[in-house]
Amino acid sequence: MGNQRSMNKERLLIEYTKMSQGINAYKLKRNYVMIRDSAIATKYFLYYYYTSPTVKSTSNRVSRVLKYIWIASAKTFSGLPTLSKLYIYNISFATRLFSVLRFESVIHEFDPYFNYRTTRFLAEQGFYKFHNWFDDRAWYPLGRIIGGTIYPGLMVTSAALYRLMWMLNITIDIRNVCVFLAPFFSSLTTLVTYALTKEIHSIGAGLVASALISIVPGYISRSVAGSYDNEGIAIFCMLFTYYLWIKAVKTGTIFWSAMSALAYFYMVSSWGGYVFLINLIPLHVITLMITGRFSHRIYIAYSTLYCVGTILSMQISFVGFQPIQSSEHMLALGVFGLCQIHAFVDYLRSRMPKDHFDLLFKTLVSSVISMVLIVGTVLTLTGKVSPWTGRFYSLLDPSYAKNHIPIIASVSEHQPTSWSSFYFDLQILVFLFPAGLYFCFSRLTDANIFIILYGVTSIYFAGVMVRLMLVLAPVMCVLSGIAISHLLAKYIKSVDTGGAKPATESKRQHKKMEQQSGGVKSEVAIGFVTIITLMLIVYTFHCTWVTSEAYSSPSIVLSARSHDGGRIIFDDFREAYYWLQMNTPENARIMSWWDYGYQITAMANRTILVDNNTWNNTHISRVGQAMASSEEKAYEIMRELDVDYVLVIFGGLTGYSSDDINKFLWMVRIGGSTDRGAHIKEKDYYAANGEFRVDKEGSPTLLNCLMYKMCYYRFGQMYTEGGKAQGYDRVRAAEIGNKDFELDVLEEAYTTEHWLVRIYKVKDLPNRGV
Amino acid sequence: MFSITCQNYRGLKMETNWILFYVTTICLIINPITADIINKNVERNLDIASQLVKTSYKIQVEETAGKPLKEYEFIVREPNLSFISVKDGFNKKLAFEEKKENEKSQVKYKITFASSAPQQTLLIETVSTKNILPYPSEIKQNDKQLVKYVGGLYLYSNYLTQSQRINIQLSSSNIIAHTQFRPFSVMSNKMTFGPYENIAKLTDDELFVHYENQSPFLTVNTLERTIEVSHWGNIAVKEEIQMTHTGAKLKGSFSRYDFQKDGRSGQSAVKSYKTYLPASATGVYYRDTNGNISTSNMNLMRESVDLDLRPRFPLFGGWKTQYVLGYNVPSYEYLYSSDNDYILKMHLIDHIHDNMCIDEAVITIILPEGSSNIKLETPYGIKRHQNALIHTYLDTVGRPVVSFSQRNLVENHIAEFTLKYNFSKVSLLQEPLLVIAFIYIIFLLTIVFLRLDFSITSHFHKE
Repeated sequence: MGNQRSMNKERLLIEYTKMSQGINAYKLKRNYVMIRDSAIATKYFLYYYYTSPTVKSTSNRVSRVLKYIWIASAKTFSGLPTLSKLYIYNISFATRLFSVLRFESVIHEFDPYFNYRTTRFLAEQGFYKFHNWFDDRAWYPLGRIIGGTIYPGLMVTSAALYRLMWMLNITIDIRNVCVFLAPFFSSLTTLVTYALTKEIHSIGAGLVASALISIVPGYISRSVAGSYDNEGIAIFCMLFTYYLWIKAVKTGTIFWSAMSALAYFYMVSSWGGYVFLINLIPLHVITLMITGRFSHRIYIAYSTLYCVGTILSMQISFVGFQPIQSSEHMLALGVFGLCQIHAFVDYLRSRMPKDHFDLLFKTLVSSVISMVLIVGTVLTLTGKVSPWTGRFYSLLDPSYAKNHIPIIASVSEHQPTSWSSFYFDLQILVFLFPAGLYFCFSRLTDANIFIILYGVTSIYFAGVMVRLMLVLAPVMCVLSGIAISHLLAKYIKSVDTGGAKPATESKRQHKKMEQQSGGVKSEVAIGFVTIITLMLIVYTFHCTWVTSEAYSSPSIVLSARSHDGGRIIFDDFREAYYWLQMNTPENARIMSWWDYGYQITAMANRTILVDNNTWNNTHISRVGQAMASSEEKAYEIMRELDVDYVLVIFGGLTGYSSDDINKFLWMVRIGGSTDRGAHIKEKDYYAANGEFRVDKEGSPTLLNCLMYKMCYYRFGQMYTEGGKAQGYDRVRAAEIGNKDFELDVLEEAYTTEHWLVRIYKVKDLPNRGV
Repeated sequence: MFSITCQNYRGLKMETNWILFYVTTICLIINPITADIINKNVERNLDIASQLVKTSYKIQVEETAGKPLKEYEFIVREPNLSFISVKDGFNKKLAFEEKKENEKSQVKYKITFASSAPQQTLLIETVSTKNILPYPSEIKQNDKQLVKYVGGLYLYSNYLTQSQRINIQLSSSNIIAHTQFRPFSVMSNKMTFGPYENIAKLTDDELFVHYENQSPFLTVNTLERTIEVSHWGNIAVKEEIQMTHTGAKLKGSFSRYDFQKDGRSGQSAVKSYKTYLPASATGVYYRDTNGNISTSNMNLMRESVDLDLRPRFPLFGGWKTQYVLGYNVPSYEYLYSSDNDYILKMHLIDHIHDNMCIDEAVITIILPEGSSNIKLETPYGIKRHQNALIHTYLDTVGRPVVSFSQRNLVENHIAEFTLKYNFSKVSLLQEPLLVIAFIYIIFLLTIVFLRLDFSITSHFHKE
């Protein structure tokens, strides 16, 4: 009997292997995840149903099926972890391809266009030209030193991949490298997550965690194909650094800590979020010190990491001397000092009598603290230590930015996270996370403490800023993976009761078995495992749905459903940018709100005034002033800035809500935030009752400002919706207030098919005497 | 007549007038065809309804003395002549050659007749580009596009023309002005000038027509056509096209409102055009540097694949666009082989839009790796570039590239070239073997790597 069972198991294993290979072929299908789960379930159900006629009761059958699913998976996991890793690797790549399959291989959003443009430059011109690149296409007339103001990790990575492939005669387009880089790196992330969780907990937890992270929406939102942004590779770098750090802490070897310093260097080169990492690791070290877990291993690991990592990170020209000057890095420096002191104290303690030591200790502590305080204050006051930057303040105090820097508050991804988006992006992980934390607490190790700290701090930061959900998602997966694996390992043992054992066995023996295997009744275990299975299935469905519906639209191409259910595509952005590229002079300067700056330089290849790298507040403010002023005043500003064309986004005809009129209040606020724009006051743009309205009730200042005129030029004659008057704005749901006007200083140069983008040419000064 | 007088002279004053003798002999040598030939009747059909000037001549030639006609000289004074074909009365193609002239404004062709009779009929077709110019050269969005054609009223010929007539086909009946040289008649969009009798040789007079022409004035500035041949059954064709609207330039602003609401607005603008691809074309793509151009339709017809291409934006006068069009065709329709000899027969250029005119076309043919002995035959003269090598997927030594270019092409130039080359069938296996070997080596290396211990010392922390 036993022999036959083991044979059965072997066959199962073989079948499973075959099956998963077969399924791999389906990886591009939309519902591969569903296929996989249901296929396994059906297959094993049928398989067991037919091969074991002894099984009679339904509950028994269910229990056996359940058990075999989990045991088979567990067996595969333990027996063939490589295969399942490969499988998860594929899934995490495939699930990010929705947008490519539905639309095309195209770069998404705004920032990725800048990254794409710089990568193209790097791939074509080489690293030295890239490093010294002064970009005169942006921030006219200031320009921008690209090499010194970006994190080059992303560009270097893709350019290196591109070069490598060309060396192997794989003549792939640089755009495709950029589009598929993020999915590729998220595949790598699953592997790193596996390794990290394995170090912290167990192989099983590692596999579950990597399966969870492969499809978690919080991470997918930044790593779908085409979203070519720093975060795409930075999460990989971050987890990789963590993994190597854990390795270093566990082994205490210079090798692993040097490796983690290298990984840290890669992280620094690719994302500004490295600051989180360089604060978390010192925090871990401090916690270890407080909990009395400080040892030589940690001393070696941290000292190596800090020294090598800091020197390496200073090689990135954008980072420069910040690691030893700015206050964001001070914790790391302080902990480094503390490590030396702690080690020294430990050394002294081992060599001295206790009372001598106590006296020395007290003196040292008080003098060191006062020294640190004095030096810190002096450095901050003299400006050697740079003051805390606005973005960092807004992390600690969510209302800081809104009150002080309008340009930070105007970015939607800098807003605090709402509760619903936690559930939307993480689903069951929200509930499993505390369980995972509990399991970590119940078995504290150096590594566990790290993951606890990571979890707790990142959940705070994710609550402050939507964007940092990205940092939270991996630790959510790790902790949930630990929880699931821990619970399943406990309950799966009790699932199998009657069927497998000969029915003749006595009840007492049976109970004994049960106690040995975890002390839960079989029914409870079945129920529990079923619930977990269902939760995981629901999770896959949810993730696939979220990915497909929310995170897979390129935003450069809009699509909508028509009345008859067909798909309408609004390709107006590319239409306008291509028009600019083809039909304006090579050196034309284009004024637009900063959101579209990167896209214009990348797709239209024209000079722009302001872009998404919002480093110069006054310049952006000047553009805001032009948009918010009347035509004559705006003309002065535009002459001053040498503007040839003005581009606005207008959604009134199609109902595209994130257009320039809806962003207009930000332009007013930012425009009015500098001295030269002091005459622009937000309240002038509100109607008498304090509302922002574009109809007849709207304030006359608004109805006569440049932005209003450019958006609504000749719109007053258009019929947009049945039953409504001419000039009915579908976004604001109002008939516009100022219909009949002509433009004096501008002329319409181009308007796209759905009026989404309108481009105006700034007229030359009129001839004298005309 | 001239030669007879010469003989008379010779007979009378042979000894005394040597100089005259030499002059006449030289005259005889230089000018073997003499004024004995006349154009008995010339019928010219001039089609200026599109952006091209298409002329077809029907010339009845006669040798008055009854001697058999062997050669005829035909002069073209149109600039930018793109295409010429000559046939005789039985619709048989005749051989002709271009004679080099110092004078740039005209080209002379020497036509040799197939049969030698004293009376011959010539059917000549010519197509020239850029001879219809917008006038005024800048118009507003709602204006009509008016153009001016200036050409010759008479057939500019080396011979006396007894009777000739021109029929002109216009694009619309809106004619602003034209040459008033009687007799002529105007019937809606058709005009007839002549018949004019007994026009002496080498006589010309100006013919001009100023009329409305809303047909698309699209010029393909550059066409880069790449044909990549694979012996696995596929030929990939890629055309990179840059085009300009060369009609009247848009003056002032472009108003989307007028363009959408008013049907008369922007008539000369090109909103879309048709491209015909071979019937077997599959996997068609239409994109530019910013990605796919989503506004286009494809209709599968029996004879061809019709693409209704809509550029991202309507092309007004002076506006440019640039795009890439590509497709695959099965190789069995174009590639013939016997043993190791292959022949590729494909269109040198293909249809882009009706009445197209291409300023410069560069055609590149990429052959499979290992092709040798490449011989190219083209239906008309081209400028051959140096052969090169290209390295792409799974290549080792590189694929041979044949490329050539030609300027000023029109639809009549759609014709097949023939490319002969040798390719040994065994080398087809090279690429799959390469992949197999690569994977094999990876596995082998993994096996070796996993079984050997590379560590320098026995490591304490090793797991």
